[in-house]
Amino acid sequence: MASVAEVRAAVDAALQQVTESQAAIQAAREKLGEAQQSLAAALDGSANDAVGAAHASLSQADQQLEECFGATLVAIEQAQTYTATL
Amino acid sequence: MSLLQELGAQLRATSDELPTGLVTVAMERLRSATELLNWVRQSSVDPIGVPQLGNATEHAEHAAAALRLAQDAIAAYLAAIGLSGEPSAPPDQDWREGLKPPPEVSAPDNVRPPPEQLGSWWRRRVEELTGEAPPPGDEPTGTPASRADTAELLRRVAGGVRSGDKSRLGRDLHAVNASSGLALSAVTPPVLHRLAGDLLGHEPRADDVARLRSAATGRVRSLLPGAPPAVLETLIARVCRAPVPAGAPAHPADSAVTASVLTGVLLARLGRDPSTLDPAAPEPLRRPPTDA
Repeated sequence: MASVAEVRAAVDAALQQVTESQAAIQAAREKLGEAQQSLAAALDGSANDAVGAAHASLSQADQQLEECFGATLVAIEQAQTYTATL
Repeated sequence: MSLLQELGAQLRATSDELPTGLVTVAMERLRSATELLNWVRQSSVDPIGVPQLGNATEHAEHAAAALRLAQDAIAAYLAAIGLSGEPSAPPDQDWREGLKPPPEVSAPDNVRPPPEQLGSWWRRRVEELTGEAPPPGDEPTGTPASRADTAELLRRVAGGVRSGDKSRLGRDLHAVNASSGLALSAVTPPVLHRLAGDLLGHEPRADDVARLRSAATGRVRSLLPGAPPAVLETLIARVCRAPVPAGAPAHPADSAVTASVLTGVLLARLGRDPSTLDPAAPEPLRRPPTDA
């Protein structure tokens, strides 16, 4: 039979996964920033459409990762509020 | 090297180093957390953060798609300047990222490390799945799990599968704490996708479900006689990007353990050693497609 301690531990195990995802998101955003700088330096002065598309896609990826991180913060808060009621 | 070649090399390196692997890691961790919370909250009206995790996963998927678009745009630019024939990094390396030690980023202050209180819960389920009782007096330590533990566990499970030794498989799964075991759910999807692609000779697609099922089901069932068949079906459907069969959420340990055994089965089918799952291992040779 499950106990409150087990339910809480299961939620904590899930939150550990979320924390690891946050670490991966932060590391991805750092690498993305480096890629944006490298691309900007290499392609400075290019008017090729593909260059504009690459810059736009990288900005879009960064924005999505930022929103992803924000959603994980809310998820953690909700889960912790729930376990506090157990 | 000409100036143009140098520019091309720099752009290819930038494209190859885009963090697609890290985004995949984030996505799979979020999916694994969602699966666990969904199982915990069955029959509860409290969402326990599950909808927010769904949103987060969706944003991560969009980020991954945007990175692929950026890679396509860089490739298009290289083609436009006449450099499309140059080699770049081998494709589909995202599986390696999930098996590497995690990046050193401090966790938010409000998240405490999980205490290991799920040990008996994990071992009970492993016993049901494998039919192997936990070794007496061999309690795993309560130390926090790490991704390195899980990567090592996956290699050990693959070794047990290769030798067909169910007792060894049971011992290895009983020997870890629940967090390390459950994390198998997060590290296996890109590995399975890659191995299935190598076995099939192409990117797994929906009409490959039957081939993969026939390649894996017998061996998975013999090693995990207690695993519900729907769990393997769901895993194969996910690998093939096919619709996942509807049903109640699976027990989180079932998905984690079955995914690790399926990894071992596909590896054995490819004739590869478990050490090839080391993220630092050289790229294995891709053999011609087989009748899986």
